[in-house]
Amino acid sequence: MAFDKMELRDIEVWDGNFAAAQALRQCQVDVVSAYPITPSTPIVEGYAKFKADNYVEGEFVMVESEHAAMSGCIGAAAAGGRVATATSSQGLALMAETLYQASGMRLPIVLNIVNRALAAPLNVNGDHSDMYMARDSGWIQFDAYCPQEAYDLNFIAFKVSEDHDVRIPAIVNQDGFMTSHTAQGVKTMDDDTAYGFVGEYKPMNDMLDFEYPVTHGVQTEEDWHFEHKARQHNDMMTIVPDKIDAAFAEFEKLTGRKYNQIEEYSMEDADVAVVCMGTSVETAREVALEMREKGIKAGVVGIRVFRPFPFAKIAEVLKDVKAVAALDRSAPGGTAGALFNEIAGALFNTDSKMLLSGYIYGLGGRDLTKKHLVDLYTELQANADAGKVLTKQQQFIGVRGPKLAYL
Amino acid sequence: MANTGWDEFEIGAMLRTFDGAIEDIAGTRQEDRNYSPNSSFTASVADWRIEKPIFNKDYCIDCQFCWIYCPDVSIISRDKKMIGVDMDHCKGCGICVEVCPTNPKSLLMFPELADEETEIASWPTKEEKEK
Amino acid sequence: MLEIRWHSRAGQGAVTGAKGLADVISTTGKHVQAFAFYGSAKRGAAMTAYNRVDDKVIMNHEKYMEPDYVFVIDPALVYTSDVTINGKESTKYIITTHMSTDELVASQPKLADKEVYTVDCIKIAQETIGRPIPNTPMLGAFMKVSEMYDIEFFKESMQRILGKLPQKIIDANMIAIQRAYDEVK
Repeated sequence: MAFDKMELRDIEVWDGNFAAAQALRQCQVDVVSAYPITPSTPIVEGYAKFKADNYVEGEFVMVESEHAAMSGCIGAAAAGGRVATATSSQGLALMAETLYQASGMRLPIVLNIVNRALAAPLNVNGDHSDMYMARDSGWIQFDAYCPQEAYDLNFIAFKVSEDHDVRIPAIVNQDGFMTSHTAQGVKTMDDDTAYGFVGEYKPMNDMLDFEYPVTHGVQTEEDWHFEHKARQHNDMMTIVPDKIDAAFAEFEKLTGRKYNQIEEYSMEDADVAVVCMGTSVETAREVALEMREKGIKAGVVGIRVFRPFPFAKIAEVLKDVKAVAALDRSAPGGTAGALFNEIAGALFNTDSKMLLSGYIYGLGGRDLTKKHLVDLYTELQANADAGKVLTKQQQFIGVRGPKLAYL
Repeated sequence: MANTGWDEFEIGAMLRTFDGAIEDIAGTRQEDRNYSPNSSFTASVADWRIEKPIFNKDYCIDCQFCWIYCPDVSIISRDKKMIGVDMDHCKGCGICVEVCPTNPKSLLMFPELADEETEIASWPTKEEKEK
Repeated sequence: MLEIRWHSRAGQGAVTGAKGLADVISTTGKHVQAFAFYGSAKRGAAMTAYNRVDDKVIMNHEKYMEPDYVFVIDPALVYTSDVTINGKESTKYIITTHMSTDELVASQPKLADKEVYTVDCIKIAQETIGRPIPNTPMLGAFMKVSEMYDIEFFKESMQRILGKLPQKIIDANMIAIQRAYDEVK
């Protein structure tokens, strides 16, 4: 069955959801098994419409829950197809069990998570609770800061995930509403170029290969389980980072758009720096430039690849910075924020004298304003000048009432 | 399983049933198939058995009930004709006897050491229904 | 950086309007951003949508905005929402109403000393498109007030954006845009 190609303008004004849907179309995904949830719904809806309009040759499987959605993806991926889906928040929570199945079975699935707060209280807006919930699930995690990146990172996710040396599923995160429903200019690839980048899907150990029957999802107890998990982690730590870099390099050659495991902005001589994810990275970039006009050497580090966490790269970029803020957009549930802990871990056994403070911000979509970031950089500069952290190590940004601070 | 290295197995929680490629597996008898060591076909669990089924073909109607219900795929059937029990895999659970619909039954349970010919010679006769 | 805030009711097309405007502006080589405040709002709930336009890539993702233009596409929102919030001295207001600008300002003192333009987008939409969807007429009025683009170029661009709609609806939208362009005061 032939499908139609779509003519795109060089720059389309797309929101993050539509950009991701277009990427799924251009990758000619074979199976999307999905259960819709705000704010990710338009991604799978978009794929379904492309299919209905004959712009894609594939199957859209409507299921009864997100658990079933990922289960459908696992089945389709084990059978030997290029597979993707999308979800958010509660949907991801219901998918939790199957996330571990997918990664343990080494099935290359691409999951778009449009990041949204986890209830209660019920909230449809963007924070990183769901991203953090999946962080130990064994998936590769990319993070997009704007619609352009939501588009680009989908291609890169397929490329890395489907590599036969990798075979680990990949998540592409984007901020709910702030990216998913914000229309911005997106530089497009034409259909042939885009498909050429990911290439035809190459199955591996697929169940539809009747000449070599396989059993997927087998049981191992203490005799072999640990080895499987160790090997999976070993591949994540030793193989995946280079594969990601290779995919980034190839993508840059094709489009001129350069991605890195961590994105550094104005970091060469920075005294103070903010480390964060999502749209906040871009807002912080703008504020950092404004701070430099005021004489504060401010920089920003964006985490592009959250898993495998670029431990050594973080240590390298931050080692000479005087004061650093780790911004976590998720309620930490009784500990320091995840980024705070990751960064602290990366720098701990080094000679770095970096001062680290953690900030919880933006829960349930609470706005992170430029004013917040100006205050934050000012506070970091004060820490740098004093040679010690003058506040508690964990604070909240933008919450009502008396100042909350811990640790 | 052999104590092979941690990075020698194929990635993913997957196992192969056969060594090498297969063709026309449905037309190949079990004993002629190239099962891999990961297949339970090569693992005998028969030592566990304390009672065994004995098959009396005189009464069998080849209904295949025992073949369908056997949880260990131990009923050997060829061209829809029941020919016996695979004693390497039979655990002696007795389900085949339970589901056998003939009168007298074509499969009955006996102690592991019972002699097949002797038991078939003294097979129970048809049970009359009480009026 | 040019920033616009739309005041609308969910279902009146502010998001579509903001995205349509962004699309037109994008074709002229500028960088754009169009977004909205969402919640679990029902149709008819007051909501706001936003546009940012700049010559360089827009990095700012804060939702806070001190707008250069405020579009109000539902007449009642002038009284039930604070349409002047975070306004600057130079902020221009284009407001849908059946009243004259003087009558409107008299009825809402917050608009006193502001640069206010009025146009009845609801009436125009009803008379042309046949439904009270005031988003495209507001853009016609904006073209007049801002002198951003030639109205013929703008209408051509909107024809492309509305492309998948039936031709009759597209034609009606073009008339609505032109009428609002001519009638805004």
